[in-house]
Amino acid sequence: MKGTNIGELEELIMLTVAMLYDNAYGVAIQKEIKERCNRSITISTVHAALVRLQKKGFVDSRYDGTTSARGGRRKHLFRLTKTGQNALIQAKEQRDAIWEAIPEIAFNN
Amino acid sequence: MEGIEGDLSEIFEEQVKAKGSVVARVLFFFQALGFLRVIFKYREKRYNNMPSIWIHYLLTAYRSLRRHRVFFGINLMGLTLAISCALYAFIFIQDELRFDQHIQNQQGLYRLYKHHINIPEHVDINTYETSGMMGPTMAKEYPEVTSFSRVLPWWDPMIFSQGNRHIQSEKVYFVDSTFLEMFDVKMVAGGKKELLKSPSSILISERLAAVLFGKDDPVGRRVLGINDLPFHIEGVFESPPRNGSLQYDALISWTTTVPNVGQMPQDWMNNWRAQGIFTFVKLAPNTSVKALEKKTEGMMQTHFEERAENYFLKLQPFQEMYLYGHHIMHRRGMKTGNIQFLYLLGFSAALILLIASVNYINITLSRTSQTHKEVGIRRVMGSSRSQLAFRFIAETFIIAFLATTLSIAIVYLLIPVLNVAIGKDLEQIMLFEPGTAMSILAFIVAVSLLVGCYPALSLSGQALSPVLKSSAGTVKGTDWFRRTLMTLQYAISIFLIICTLGVINQTQFLLDRPLGFEQEQVMVIDINNEVGEKADVLKANLLSHPDIRSVSIGRSAIGGGSYTTRVQPELYDGDMAARMFGIDFDFFNTYGIKQYSGRTFRKGSKADSSNAMMVNRAFMEFVGWEDPIGKKITFSSGNVYPIIGVTENFHISSLATTDIEPMIMFLNTRPMYASVKMEAQDLKATIPFIADQFEQLATKTPFDYYFVDQWFEDQYVNEQQVLSLSSVYAIISIVLCAMGLYGLTALILQQRKREISIRKVLGASLSSLLALLNKEFAMMMALAFVVAIPAANFLITEWLNQFVYRIDLGFGPFFMAGFGVIVISLAIVGLLTLRIGQANPSKNLSSE
Repeated sequence: MKGTNIGELEELIMLTVAMLYDNAYGVAIQKEIKERCNRSITISTVHAALVRLQKKGFVDSRYDGTTSARGGRRKHLFRLTKTGQNALIQAKEQRDAIWEAIPEIAFNN
Repeated sequence: MEGIEGDLSEIFEEQVKAKGSVVARVLFFFQALGFLRVIFKYREKRYNNMPSIWIHYLLTAYRSLRRHRVFFGINLMGLTLAISCALYAFIFIQDELRFDQHIQNQQGLYRLYKHHINIPEHVDINTYETSGMMGPTMAKEYPEVTSFSRVLPWWDPMIFSQGNRHIQSEKVYFVDSTFLEMFDVKMVAGGKKELLKSPSSILISERLAAVLFGKDDPVGRRVLGINDLPFHIEGVFESPPRNGSLQYDALISWTTTVPNVGQMPQDWMNNWRAQGIFTFVKLAPNTSVKALEKKTEGMMQTHFEERAENYFLKLQPFQEMYLYGHHIMHRRGMKTGNIQFLYLLGFSAALILLIASVNYINITLSRTSQTHKEVGIRRVMGSSRSQLAFRFIAETFIIAFLATTLSIAIVYLLIPVLNVAIGKDLEQIMLFEPGTAMSILAFIVAVSLLVGCYPALSLSGQALSPVLKSSAGTVKGTDWFRRTLMTLQYAISIFLIICTLGVINQTQFLLDRPLGFEQEQVMVIDINNEVGEKADVLKANLLSHPDIRSVSIGRSAIGGGSYTTRVQPELYDGDMAARMFGIDFDFFNTYGIKQYSGRTFRKGSKADSSNAMMVNRAFMEFVGWEDPIGKKITFSSGNVYPIIGVTENFHISSLATTDIEPMIMFLNTRPMYASVKMEAQDLKATIPFIADQFEQLATKTPFDYYFVDQWFEDQYVNEQQVLSLSSVYAIISIVLCAMGLYGLTALILQQRKREISIRKVLGASLSSLLALLNKEFAMMMALAFVVAIPAANFLITEWLNQFVYRIDLGFGPFFMAGFGVIVISLAIVGLLTLRIGQANPSKNLSSE
């Protein structure tokens, strides 16, 4: 893996996981992204990304919150790990640094 | 996984509300499908000590096999038996399928045969016999027939002489020169061009060349053949391989037989009327065979009108000739196979394999209680299901591998024996061909997977806690499965036994049927021309021996020398086929053939030897004569002869294929066979005497003889083949079935040990216990019986239909098969039950 760099979709999902805090599971994440970014991603894509992130150690997960609505199945809930937080912060800092380095003229033509 | 399922159903519920249940279902499917990539890609990676675990599994499998030697032995024996059968069947079938493959370019090569219909004579047959003009005329009149070759395998053995070297060959073909190209004859010596064109030219095989000429070059030399006529050797060819249907030692040019051209004119070989010649044709590419067959009807109309209503020419592709020619008669002079026999062989081998596999599954499952703990603990320690399955497949693999190795050794050793017994020449080397080796390997793997799979999955798939809790586990869920398998086994065994009994009865029936003459102690010597000229001397010399009762020397004998011709009997509308039998005065005496009416030929009567015929009863009844004595028969040559007597019917060929034909007997002029009737006392001493007498007269004719009773038995090679095959398979199936039964009974009894003990404590008698346990098996047997009877009945009736003389199957075989199976299985179940039933119940009950 190329350092701790994360992909665009991964970043998006991690941010959403962070945002949803204690209710971050597949469908919730999918809905949130749909609402906020107007991007339709399939549920399996969300899961694929989550599994990938878990392997990289950016999120961890647990099962909880049985409701009758889900056919009695528990939710697979995700939460950011410390490494995940660091990776997000690092990504944001990198971007911010680049933003600051953009000369004003670049956007003014 | 649960999270995924939860998410999927949450989305599903929403979509049902939003889009309706149908659309939601479809979407659900695709969404679920999308998860496949997640599952496959992100499966847990295996740790890298897998190879050592596999070795460990092999080791435990090996240990477990050693611990359970009896089961291992039963399994190994069963599989070895079955695999040996299958392996033999495999190479046998493979060899048959390879026949004639050495001939290049078989495209467009056809063999001519005819469908012969004659309603008044009740003839409706296919026969390879064609006349000598059909091939040439087709080639001349139809451009699509590019070439033709006639083939006449000479009937009698021919003696070739060169100086003082002689060799006799039964495989001499008269052929057209096109034969060489058509059948890819490989020349090892002699020019390429213009072979077999001129009269009296001959090509000989390397074998003949070696005997006649040693190391000299035979090309351009002369050799004496039929009737001591000289033939000119144009070349030497490589003998055809053993798996070619055409087998020849010498090829003689067809022109030799053409009247006014060759030195041995045979008008009948070159006219329309006489049949008995084989014709091969080569067709241009894209010729419609059907259309050509249709066209030949026109050819028959123009050239051979009198038979146009009876003979319909057909074409058979050459590559089908060997295996698919069994519905066509007169396959003389060529090797023949039978596709039906191959089906039978393959089918039986498959049945045996099936039984053995079922056994394996049953016996392995019956060991469940012993392997339960192992499985349980492995699973507690974290074995995955596939790993456990592998553990069992490994065990199966070891057994299958051992069994196959043993089978190869067994078949290797058995091939020479079976070659003699079955009359087939398979080569041991066939076992080690790459194709065979690959098939064997593929087979071991397939058997391991298929057979090992069920026990593996059923043992590894059970709920964990009961597995560990009880020492004697129950496998209730799989009981019906094993019972079905057991019933199937029973059914197959009963089926095979019935078939075998049917075949035995029929073969015995054919062998026991009275032939109409005394067949014991009659020896027939093939005397050929040389000794035939001194027939009287031979006869007198032979009769000087006290143990020789009578000698008959004639053109024909039982087993050879007769031929068919067409005759016109008096008061009969049209002509009919009759078998001509050339004999002498002592014929009826030698064979003990009874007279029906009239008189036999009188010795010394001049009229009898030139102007008298005898017929058999079949002839008389066929024509419908009330009083045949004095009636006249007209031959195609125009000669007319009166009948002086009628004999009782007697058989001259296999009862399996032919009924008694109308027969005409005449005093002959050309002795070919000597029939010698001996006293039973001391054949061993009499035969050398006969040989001695013969050799005093013969300089080059070898002493070649057969016994008539033996000859008749040899006619039933096909039936004997089917008989030995089905008996072997029936016996093996019974053995396998008994093994399987033992395994299953052992298991059931183990499971019901406590029940039996409690029953005993409560006062059940031994006999009531036996009845209780046998009830179940009796049910299975009854069901198997019901299944097997119609199948066996159908097959046997089909098989019997091909015989002219056949038995009525009756109830005997069915009864015996059922009875035998019941006795064997009750004995096994009874013995095992007795052992448990007699044990002290407290022992079984305290082991809780």
